[in-house]
Amino acid sequence: MVAAAWICLLLPLAGALLITLLGNVLSRKAAGVLATSSVAGAFVAAAVAFVTMLGDGEQHRSHLSTGFTWLSAGSFQADFSILLDPLSLVMMLVITGVGSLIVLYSIGYMHGDNEERRFFGYMALFVFSMLLLVQGGNLLLLLVGWGLVGLSSYLLIGFWHEKPSAVAAAKKAFIINAIGDATFAIAIIVIIQQTHIVGFDALSALNPDNHGVLNLVALGLLGGAVAKSAQLPLHTWLPDAMEGPTPVSALIHAATMVTAGVYLIARCHTVFESAHQVQNIAAGIGALTIVVAGAIALVQTDIKRVIAYSTMSQIGYMFVGVGLGAYASSMFHLMTHAFFKALLFMGAGIVIHALSGEQDIRQMGGLRKLMPRTYVMMLIASLALIGFPLTSGFFSKDAILAGALASGPYGAALWVIGMIGALLTGVYTSRMFLTVFHGAPGDLVLRQLGPDAHGQGATTDGHGHGEGPRTMLIPVAILTVLALGGGFIQVFDWWTGMQTWLESVVPSLHEPTGWQEAISSIGAPLLGLVGVTFGWAVYGSRKDTAPKPSRSLEHKLYFDELYDRIAYAPAAFIARFVTRLIEGPLVIGSGDLVGHVTRGAGEKARLLQNGLVRSYALLIALSFAVMGIVFLAVR
Amino acid sequence: MAGPGIPAYLGVAVFLFVTGAFGVLLRRSPLIVLLSLEIMLNGANLALIAFSRHWGNGDGQIFAISVMAVAAAEVVVGLGLIVAMARKKLNLDVDELSSLKG
Repeated sequence: MVAAAWICLLLPLAGALLITLLGNVLSRKAAGVLATSSVAGAFVAAAVAFVTMLGDGEQHRSHLSTGFTWLSAGSFQADFSILLDPLSLVMMLVITGVGSLIVLYSIGYMHGDNEERRFFGYMALFVFSMLLLVQGGNLLLLLVGWGLVGLSSYLLIGFWHEKPSAVAAAKKAFIINAIGDATFAIAIIVIIQQTHIVGFDALSALNPDNHGVLNLVALGLLGGAVAKSAQLPLHTWLPDAMEGPTPVSALIHAATMVTAGVYLIARCHTVFESAHQVQNIAAGIGALTIVVAGAIALVQTDIKRVIAYSTMSQIGYMFVGVGLGAYASSMFHLMTHAFFKALLFMGAGIVIHALSGEQDIRQMGGLRKLMPRTYVMMLIASLALIGFPLTSGFFSKDAILAGALASGPYGAALWVIGMIGALLTGVYTSRMFLTVFHGAPGDLVLRQLGPDAHGQGATTDGHGHGEGPRTMLIPVAILTVLALGGGFIQVFDWWTGMQTWLESVVPSLHEPTGWQEAISSIGAPLLGLVGVTFGWAVYGSRKDTAPKPSRSLEHKLYFDELYDRIAYAPAAFIARFVTRLIEGPLVIGSGDLVGHVTRGAGEKARLLQNGLVRSYALLIALSFAVMGIVFLAVR
Repeated sequence: MAGPGIPAYLGVAVFLFVTGAFGVLLRRSPLIVLLSLEIMLNGANLALIAFSRHWGNGDGQIFAISVMAVAAAEVVVGLGLIVAMARKKLNLDVDELSSLKG
């Protein structure tokens, strides 16, 4: 089982290295196949580990396997080790499972791009980094994986490096994530300083009475989680990250990396439970993000940005879950969200692909007849996002809400916010869906896909228009099935697959009662449907995205402008100030000064060289005379 | 040890050295300057040998022989330069050789 976990970790790394090292030897197609098969192989290994673990007793499911001693200084030692337990296994299955489907999809999506090999190398590197993050056997390795996913995310967002907006988005994502990385690193340093160990057992070794240290550690970890998961207030990078290729958005910014924060809190739940206030803050941040991101999603016009804000909002639910102790429900929602959100992104990718890169939903419309298969699967994904009964999102979102209701008055307040979020989800999802697929087709759509457009036909393989090649449609079909049926691994409290599976690692704090389950399971879908009805009434008939959206929402609540004011503008001001007062006179000035002085001295000294040999001789003689006199005098 | 004492030798040496030095400083013909340099070197050599005799060991004499070897080499270079100047029909005047003036 442990061997399978090592294989699962190292296969994508091998894939990335092979693609990088073989370079041109590998054909573009082969690079895609290699990346897909390495990730799919990792999935098989994870599945083997899963099946083996099912046979183990509940208390013997945690395995720490050490590869070698990585760092050692005095009594401090950090191993290169992996931790295989039910929690990391869930993540491994999601990452490699959804990951292999998305890498397969990108063979079709990226076909014809100039640098396909580089893309697949990065994708495999990302999967390795993410696996290292979830499998890392101690906090230091977790941080290494954390940094590596940040790096591969940076590389993939900026993949189209000739596009300035993509480069800017990549830098933004990296810098904002660096804030989180820093607080995370501080937390780990405090842990090491307090306990002198770095394994996950250090988390429970912290003195439970030392609230200052516990709060500091929990806040540091929370900072990392908030930045990585694009929660308020460090969320501004995620919408911009949509500049990357669509499979990247599906894999990194929907299914896996952005949920790393949820995993981190679940993994470190002992600290958060001891630092109670911080855990409440986490839940509060999640609730705030649900509403804010949902509201901003209402007015966005870029199809990928709508989905990106929706992702933030859904991760907000997961934060509410882990913040209130409903860990299993959060992990459950993480999984189902990976299915339906990856599906949404891939559907959006098919639409964008068919429309030759157009992402503005106002240019779309009436795609229902032209792309029937995409229509059906986007419909299913949207229903799962809204939480339509019996789809996967229904079970998982409601489990979180029920858990929130069970955790006390604070949880009940967040439950209300979550309900509002469900309403917003219904509105923005129906707006996006109806604007893209219903109504009258726009000019662009008719030009690209209309009856007299060339290359028409739903099953053209190759890079033609239509709904894309088979490599794109097969993973989408599989994910459609998962988005539809993936929720049945945990049905209320009748069949608690996820809950039981995670019980030995992260036991949930509260057990919702029957009526709490019932009110959440009825209320949330109902509100979602109210939102859909509202959306239908407003956006169903008209082509424009009426009503006139509020200006502050269009500006994404001015977060970017605010950060510009409080971070960029002062830094630029200080830089100008320093340039004028320090760089100018001191750094550049001192260089000039040295030049001037030596030049002036040279001007004077050159007059000594009068070219008269006899005067030199006289000087030599005179100086000897002087020296002789001095020697005699001081003797 | 017969003969005059060390002060007499040193007196002759100083006389030779000063004669040479004035020659170097005052004369303008490179040939004479070169001759005067040789006289200075010989003054120094005389002093070295006188001290050598005074202390009764050979170090100063060996030193003097090295100086003579250097002087011979120097004369070769110096006379070569003077011949080259004469060939170019330059004035044999050290004051006119001032093209390296700063």
